[in-house]
Amino acid sequence: MGCTSCGANSLNRDDTTGELVCTSCGVVQKFDNYDAQIFGRDGPTGTYIHVGSSGIGSFLNYKDKKIYESGKLIDDIASRLDLTGQPSVEIRNMIDKITNGEFGLGDWFPILIGACAYVVRRKANMPLTLTEIGYVLNCDVFELGRMITRVVQFLNLKLPEVDIVIMFERVIRSSNLPQLSELESDKLGRMRKQGVFLLNCAVKWFLSTGRRPMPVVVAVLVFVAEVNGVSVRIEDVAEETHCVVSTCRKRYSEFLEALVKAAQALPWGKDVNVKNILKNAMYVMSYMEMKSMEKRKEVREGINCGEVDLGDVVSKCLKKDVEHEIGVESDTRYFEMDDRSGSAMRVASEGDKIQLSHECLKMIYTKFSNEVDGEMLLGESGEVLGRKRSERFEFQTCREWWNGKSEFSKKIVLKKLLEKDVGLDIMPPSFVKGCMDNERRRAKLNSAKLRIGKIMHPSRADAGDNDVVCLSECEHTRKRRKRKRVVEIDWEDFIIETLLLHQVKEEEIEKGHYNNLLDLYVFNSGIM
Amino acid sequence: MAEQGGGLEGSQPVDLSKHPSGIVPTLQNIVSTVNLDCKLDLKQIALQARNAEYNPKRFAAVIMRIREPKTTALIFASGKMVCTGAKSEQQSKLAARKYARIIQKLGFPAKFKDFKIQNIVGSCDVKFPIRLEGLAYSHGAFSSYEPELFPGLIYRMKQPKIVLLIFVSGKIVITGAKVRDETYTAFENIYPVLTEFRKVQQ
Repeated sequence: MGCTSCGANSLNRDDTTGELVCTSCGVVQKFDNYDAQIFGRDGPTGTYIHVGSSGIGSFLNYKDKKIYESGKLIDDIASRLDLTGQPSVEIRNMIDKITNGEFGLGDWFPILIGACAYVVRRKANMPLTLTEIGYVLNCDVFELGRMITRVVQFLNLKLPEVDIVIMFERVIRSSNLPQLSELESDKLGRMRKQGVFLLNCAVKWFLSTGRRPMPVVVAVLVFVAEVNGVSVRIEDVAEETHCVVSTCRKRYSEFLEALVKAAQALPWGKDVNVKNILKNAMYVMSYMEMKSMEKRKEVREGINCGEVDLGDVVSKCLKKDVEHEIGVESDTRYFEMDDRSGSAMRVASEGDKIQLSHECLKMIYTKFSNEVDGEMLLGESGEVLGRKRSERFEFQTCREWWNGKSEFSKKIVLKKLLEKDVGLDIMPPSFVKGCMDNERRRAKLNSAKLRIGKIMHPSRADAGDNDVVCLSECEHTRKRRKRKRVVEIDWEDFIIETLLLHQVKEEEIEKGHYNNLLDLYVFNSGIM
Repeated sequence: MAEQGGGLEGSQPVDLSKHPSGIVPTLQNIVSTVNLDCKLDLKQIALQARNAEYNPKRFAAVIMRIREPKTTALIFASGKMVCTGAKSEQQSKLAARKYARIIQKLGFPAKFKDFKIQNIVGSCDVKFPIRLEGLAYSHGAFSSYEPELFPGLIYRMKQPKIVLLIFVSGKIVITGAKVRDETYTAFENIYPVLTEFRKVQQ
């Protein structure tokens, strides 16, 4: 064995400390001191029990060795998961209880440790993610999940729900990304509050239901960072949190789409899209914040709902303009229009009731945004950020537009979260897709019925059925037709026709379980 | 063709006394077992039957498929057989009989003993989104919702003893039934619970 520093073979044992010291360079060798003491000249010293041997001899004591090795493994894994001290002791006690003090050494044992670590942390309401543990243990998440289920069943525990807000707070607090860890604490605190607010919105908008929580957290974190002028790459955060990048991107775009929908309530909402939502983020968020702070009316008062607070938002935005000397304060009266749903939104500060055209609004908005951009450019000309989206967009006015006093900025219980209104309520993406599929099948079904009707009663078909068939076809295959103009009737249409001719209920066909229906009604010759 | 035209126009309404929710779960898969009551030489079956595959290193049974009803059977050397993939109880029985007949034709004295439906899987759509977090919270004793592991909520109903997978989109999978009615009862039991956690459509 050579010296770790100079490589010379001149190691000497220091008599007083028992440590190996290099005689040529003097470096004390790193080595655990147990061996030195146990295999000292005087035999075993101290109360330490050397595993694998009993006394001075080398008689292998399997059980002691097993317990010692497994204890070492528990400590090792716990420290890799950043769980030292009390949690580590809890993990050991839990494993002790589960294995009846036997512990273990097999391949299953690290997974049990991981599962216990997860359960311990989740019980303390500071959950680790499965992917994180899986990454540390180098094991499959589902295998870990199965073990957790067994642990929970065996100990008869009731785990608290996974709280996405806590996960977010943990990520933002313990992030090692320089962009985040080097931020000043008040800015980070503001980002945290905004993030929690948006996460609560995401939960309300079903963006997290039935999905892994971490990618949603990543999406919100990246968004909040961008809003606050911190350039963080989604890939970096995803890597740090061991998430799949594409999932994070997907959640990010879903989140942006939801925000765009929320932005429709703003006077210039029609001009807001996923590309410019970031610039509008502060207006949308302050609108949602105010909406969430408003007490929900017991009975929604139809079209007048939300009238006052919207006025507040607009006047607040305009107030800011005054501060920035943009000079649109005289345009206050223009900010009056009908939103898409037809509910009248009025600016409280002005008495004039002038309806404006879409073009005019657009013009005002363009002017406004140009001037905001111009001002930002002036103020931030020295700063160049990596991403196009977030460039030159440092909000110096954060404190003004964001007050963070909404309950949504804190961890709140689900019931309360659902009761609150943030100005937008949307359906889960999977549900929306299901509805669209149903509609598509319905349309196909109708056109198939018309085609069959045309063949069965050619005389009646001349009366105009033909047009309808074409129409319904056109409507729903327009996208596909761009690519394939020739194919108008596809396999699905044929199956629907076949099923219709076999007198299958239309509702059944609409559900889309074609294989099932074919088996039951079409290829069913042998059944009496 | 006249009555076919009639079939196109209207369909029979759902029996509301049996299905108060107005939704009838669709059966997606039936698993049944039967005992052929004779020892089988799997290698010989695999060699003689065209529709059979046998890889003893991978799985100790012959996997046989037929087209109508479109099913798959696992045939074990002990003479026990599992038939999967049928869409109705009768189809499952018919398919099992067809497999038994194939085995007989290959020269084994196969009988058809103890035919039993072991599992029925059904699915349906309640057509409204469901707040899974809320359901998991208030029915914690029966449900397990771990979005990190599985997107749906697993609801273990005690009476009847059925497992339901409930998804945010409103789609439901019902499994574990031995008879069709258990599937229906389980769904009718869960439906009012789901409506409690439905997201009100605006």
